[in-house]
This record gives sequence, C-alpha cells and structure tokens, in this order.
Amino acid sequence: MKLKSVFVLLVVFVLALTACQPSQDVEETEVSVEETEVSVEETEGVVEETEAVAEETEESDSSLPAACLEDELGCAVIQAGETIKIGMGAPLLGDYAMFGIDISQGVSLAFQMDDGFEGWTYELVAEDTGGSPEAGAAVANKMVTDPTVVAIAGHIFSGSTEAAMPIYEKAGLPMMSPSATEPTLTQRGSTVFNRLAFTDADQGKFAADLLFNELGFTKIAVMHDGGSYGQGLADVVRAEFEALGGEVVAYEAITTGEADYVAPLSAVAAAEPEAVYFGGYAAEAIVMMNQWSQAGLDGVLFFGCDGTYGVEFTDKTGPNGEGAIAVSLVPPDSDEKTAFDQAYFDAFGTEAGELSAFSWSSYDTGGVLIAAIEKVAFVEGDTLFVPRSALVEAVRTSDYVGLTGLIKCDAVGECNASGPTFYEVVDGVWVPLD
Amino acid sequence: MINKIKELKITWGSAIRVIVGSVVAVYLIWRVVIITFGSGEFGPDTWVRFLITGLVIGGIYALIAIGYTLVYGILFMINFAHGEVMMLGTFAGYFVLEALSAMPAPGTDANINFLNAQPVLSILLTFLAGAGVSALAGYLLEKIAYRPLRKAPRLIPLISAIGASIFLQNAAQLLFGPQRRQYINPDLLWRGQGWMIPVSGKSVMLTYTGGFSFVLSILLMIGLFILVRKTKLGKSMRAVAENKQAAALMGIDVDSVISKTFIISGILAGSAGVMWGIHNGLFNHYVGFLPGIKAFTAAVMGGIGNIPGAMIGGMLLGLMESLGPALLGLDFQLKDVIAFAILIFVLIIRPSGILGEALTEEKV
Repeated sequence: MKLKSVFVLLVVFVLALTACQPSQDVEETEVSVEETEVSVEETEGVVEETEAVAEETEESDSSLPAACLEDELGCAVIQAGETIKIGMGAPLLGDYAMFGIDISQGVSLAFQMDDGFEGWTYELVAEDTGGSPEAGAAVANKMVTDPTVVAIAGHIFSGSTEAAMPIYEKAGLPMMSPSATEPTLTQRGSTVFNRLAFTDADQGKFAADLLFNELGFTKIAVMHDGGSYGQGLADVVRAEFEALGGEVVAYEAITTGEADYVAPLSAVAAAEPEAVYFGGYAAEAIVMMNQWSQAGLDGVLFFGCDGTYGVEFTDKTGPNGEGAIAVSLVPPDSDEKTAFDQAYFDAFGTEAGELSAFSWSSYDTGGVLIAAIEKVAFVEGDTLFVPRSALVEAVRTSDYVGLTGLIKCDAVGECNASGPTFYEVVDGVWVPLD
Repeated sequence: MINKIKELKITWGSAIRVIVGSVVAVYLIWRVVIITFGSGEFGPDTWVRFLITGLVIGGIYALIAIGYTLVYGILFMINFAHGEVMMLGTFAGYFVLEALSAMPAPGTDANINFLNAQPVLSILLTFLAGAGVSALAGYLLEKIAYRPLRKAPRLIPLISAIGASIFLQNAAQLLFGPQRRQYINPDLLWRGQGWMIPVSGKSVMLTYTGGFSFVLSILLMIGLFILVRKTKLGKSMRAVAENKQAAALMGIDVDSVISKTFIISGILAGSAGVMWGIHNGLFNHYVGFLPGIKAFTAAVMGGIGNIPGAMIGGMLLGLMESLGPALLGLDFQLKDVIAFAILIFVLIIRPSGILGEALTEEKV
C-alpha cells in the first residue's frame, strides 16, 4: 500500500517535471525545421533536373567564346533581336498585389529609361507568386529554364524569396530584392542573394546610433505595441542603445487600438527620459503624440519607425506632432527623384509611392542590375554573352549611387549602405533629417 | 435551531471562495506595498496623473454601464448593441461639430467660425445631437430587434442583440467609411490643454476636456438618480423591474416604460460617446465596441441591475485600468488582463457584484 502511494507520488513528480520543461516548444521547432528541409530537398531535386536540361543544351553549342568556357556556370547566350531578361517573382494578384505591381513597375521603368546595351534592351519578366513560398519556388523553377534570363529582381516577400533562393543558387542567377526584409536571409551563405531593403534589425541599429551619437541622448525610454514588428524593433533599439553606452530608463508595452495612452505615457515620463523610441504603427503613435504634454512628456523627443511615418501622422497630430522623428523608404528630394516621380506618373498614371513605399528602391534595383550586367556582358559576332558566375560576382560587388543613396553590398549581400532615411516633422510636414 | 445550523454550515463552494479570495488579496496587497513604497518608481505627480486618467475614463464607462444595468433591470437581457448606440452618438456629435466649424458666425468677420464664436452653445448642440441620435437608436433598437422577441426564451433576444451590434457596426462603416476621424473641438475646450496642478514640485495637467467630461458624467448620474428615485417615471420603471404583471395591473403601460428606459440609456450612451470624442479625439466605427465590453464588465462588477453599482463599477474599472499595472509593477499592455482578473476576483468573493442584491429566482 505504502509502496503504491510512493510510486504514485513519483509519477506525479516526474509528470510535473516534464510539464515544467519547455520540451514541447523544442519538439515543435524541430519538426518545423525538418519539414522545411524536406521541402528544400524536394525543390532541389527539381532544380537538378532542370539544370541537367540546361547543361545538355549548352554542351551542344560548340562555338562558345573562351570567357564562357572558363566561367564555371557558363554564359547566357542572347541572340540578336532577343532581349536581356530579368526575372521577378511578385504578388501581382490578390491581397498584396499593390506591392508586386508597384515594384514591377519601378523595375521596368528603370529598364525603359535605360538605352540598353549594344543594341540589346532589358525586359522584365514578372510572374505572380501571390506572395506565397510555394508559388515562389514554382516561379523560380520556371525562371531557371529560360536561358535568356540573366538575373532576378526580387523576390518581393521574404517567404517567397526564401523558397526561391536555393533554386537560383544552383542555376547561378543573381538576385537583388528591394523588399525582402527577413533578417536571416543573408545569413545562410547564399552567394546569389542580395537585397536593397534594410531589415528591421538595420533600422533599429541606425535609430539607436542616431539617438546616441548624432542627437546625443544618453537616457531614452523604449515603447512598443506588442506586435512582432514593433516589439522586434524596440528590442533591437534597446540592445543597440545599451551597447553604445546609453541607458534605457523605461521599457513599456501598450495595447493597440486604444484612444487613451496617458497612463502608460505617465509611467514612462516618471523615469524622465530625454527621448522616447516607439516601435509600432501610426494609429497608436497619433494618440500618444496628442497626449504627450498631458502625460508630462513636454520637451521629450518622439522617435518613431517606418510604421509611424505618413501623412496621417502629421494630419492628426497637428502642432502636437512637431519635431517627431520617423523612418521611411522614401528617399530625400533630389532632381533625380523628381524626374523619376514624373516618369512614373507619366508611365503608369499613379503617383510613385501611392501603391507601396517601394517605388524608388525598386527603380534602384533595376539600375543596380543593369550596371552589373554591363560590367560583365560582351558581344561576339551578333550574339550577346553574359557569363553567369561573373555576373553573380558583379552584383555582389555592386557600387552604385541610386535614388535611395549609396548601394554597396557587403560580404553577405546587404546592399543598402546608406541606411534608412530619417524624417522629422517641421511645420506639419515630414522633411529629411540632416 | 436546525435552520441556524444550516445557515452556519460551511459549504465547499464558500470555503474555496474564502481561501482563494484571501490568498489573492494577500498577494495583491503585498505587491502593492512593495511597488508603492519599496521601489519609489513613480513620484506623487505620476500617481495623480494615473488617478485623473482613471476617473475620466471611469466616468465614461459608468455612463455606458448604467445603460446595461437599466435594461437588464427591466428586461433581464444584456443589450450587447449598447456600445453601438454610443458609437452612433459619437458620429452625430462629430458631424455637428464639423458643420459648426464650417459655418461662419453671424455678426462677426469670416475668420471666426460659429464653433469658436459660440462655444457653449456649440457644445450644447453637440451633446443634444449625440444624445438625441443615440436615444432614437436605442428606441428603434428596442422596437425592431427586441420587442418582437419579448415572449421568446431569454437567449433569443441576446442573439438578436449581438446581431444588431454587428449590423450597426457594419452599417456605420458603409455609411461613414472605415477611416479614423478626429473631433474638432472649440478652442475653449481644445484637447491637450488644461489646468496645471502643482504636485510635489511638478505640475500635472488636468485637461479641460477631462475635467469637463468628469463633471458632466457626475451631473448626468445625479440627474438619473433623481429621475429614478423621485419622479413618476422612475417609480414606474422600478415597478416594472420588480414585477411586470403586477405593474401592468396597477395601470402602468409596460411597453412605454420599456421604450423610455431604452431612450434614457441611449441619452446616457450618446453623451458618453460625445465625451469620448471630445476627450480622446480619434474614433471610427469600432469606437463603441471596447467601451461597450468594458462598461458591461463594470455593470457586472458593480452588480448588474443596480444603478449605483454600475456607477461604482465604472469608476473602479477606470481606476483599475490606469492604476492597476503601475500598482502591480506590470506592463500597461496587461491592463485589460488586470481589470478582468479583478472582475473574476470580485465575482468569486461576491457573485452578485459589489452592490448587487441577492437576485430573485426570476432574474437569475
């Protein structure tokens, strides 16, 4: 009888112990990793097949120039009368179509405004992915079968890009994404993937640097809306700011969709910060801004992110929003930008930036790819040759000045060298911060 | 003798209630003491700010909660569309202010609009419009959605109320658009401006809109209390709440009393809606949803069916939301969790709410 009860107690104890361990989470993540691995293997299988087809066709062509024979991936051979094709996988239909349409328009405008290379013009081949990873892999498999596709502008969404990356890697098609921001995409040892988009981690780093080094704050408060975007940014800013030697005196989360944030703002004000960083969206930022002085935050700087940037913020905060800082993909005004805005409007009938904020960086994506192709392509007879691995190298070593500033890729393919553009509200209008 | 022993007998339910209640109470008091006196994270000025926020929002919750409680007291149903009645009042007030600000004031030059030339009159008109539209909405709601179901089982009008709530929300979205709008206040009552109160060397702002909302909500509550206690209508409302058949036999027109109850709760909700707009500024067609749920919570906490209970419940909920996270040293993101946890705690200790009477068989 006694033994039995001891046994029961033991069982309960063991159960309690196992319940305390976060083993379930670990198992779940393991399973998901396995699943993704399987899917990658599957897609790789497809790539091998398609590559075999490509190799066969290339081998049959005996009159290749020496540069192509030396190039380990061979050349893209483009006959006279054909175009140099740049592929793109983008959500052109469905809920996220505005991103895909805007970005494909921006890239194709870069191609239209270019004079072409030795008589060959550039053509954008945009295929619909709907933003999904599955369709991203399917589009990639289609792209690699076309021997005249030399590079990829995209993909647009991170998930779709992730699925397409191994396929383009095998085929040796360099990628330049204006919009895939998932931080780990460049951490996977891919030689072909590059991006113009700055990640949330980059944005947070630049924001912390600006706060500490440029603006000279040493005590800030960090707030966020509890979402993965807002909290992600806030956590990066907190870590970076502390790493620089500053002090984060308050860290507060708010609930979204409320109309009164005086209480959390008062709690932040009690810690007497010099500036408040907020990771979140305009809806909450507007309410916060309007209650700024009520909570005792007079004279404290509001520092937002690209979620808080926009006309709605300045419209609804009025004089309360004066001096607030936010981040945007919109490049600062320049003659080139004005020319692009006009050309964009003439070509498509909508203002640049109306569909998404990626109009300018997608134009730069086109520009970078053109510059890289022109660096390595050569003509022999009446045929254009683009050595593929040389092009991969050329895109990775891009050094280009576009609308969005300096585009210079680092060793892993992060190409936005000038960082995000910070904006400040002056007289009710967002103006670039010097 | 046997009865006495029965009364003293400790049931399992009550024993658990007492144990859970005292454990939670001890823990809460311990946290509050630690945070308030141990860390000194917040100065007195911050506590005053929390208090002001809580009282203003609590006043608005209380006004809406009274609507729930009045209707429950008479029909024993939860009018889940009450938040939407408030939303319509918010829109009505917005359109009146918009129109007044676009209108030139008579007898002055064109630079001053009617809103700033006659601020008191404008605010009065705004409240009349908000309260009027909400009263009409409440009246029609009862006529269309609840009256045909008066004889149906109790769950049926509840479903009808949820349906009416969804219908009104979507109708407002289609009519007025989904974008956020912002109230245009007269300069006299501009948001973000107020009296500065010195507290321990620092000045704390009591906004004009906040002070105005709080005073007005208290006045409206006093008015309602007088109406229910001292007037003939109040007497017949109480009679209907007590027993519909008996009231009808005494010559009270039950249907008209029920309609008037909905109109009164609509007036209070509409005023709360306009206050919400004037104090907080931003709103869209979802503005009624969250305050509606919160006010329902407040009504239950105070004891549903009990008017002073709804007032106290609303004020308490507002204070808990603003003071709770600070007192317990938690994130403000968790303020709803704290408020609802306290609701559960109150219901464990007193199942009928803070001021609730023991409900009769019929009401349960």
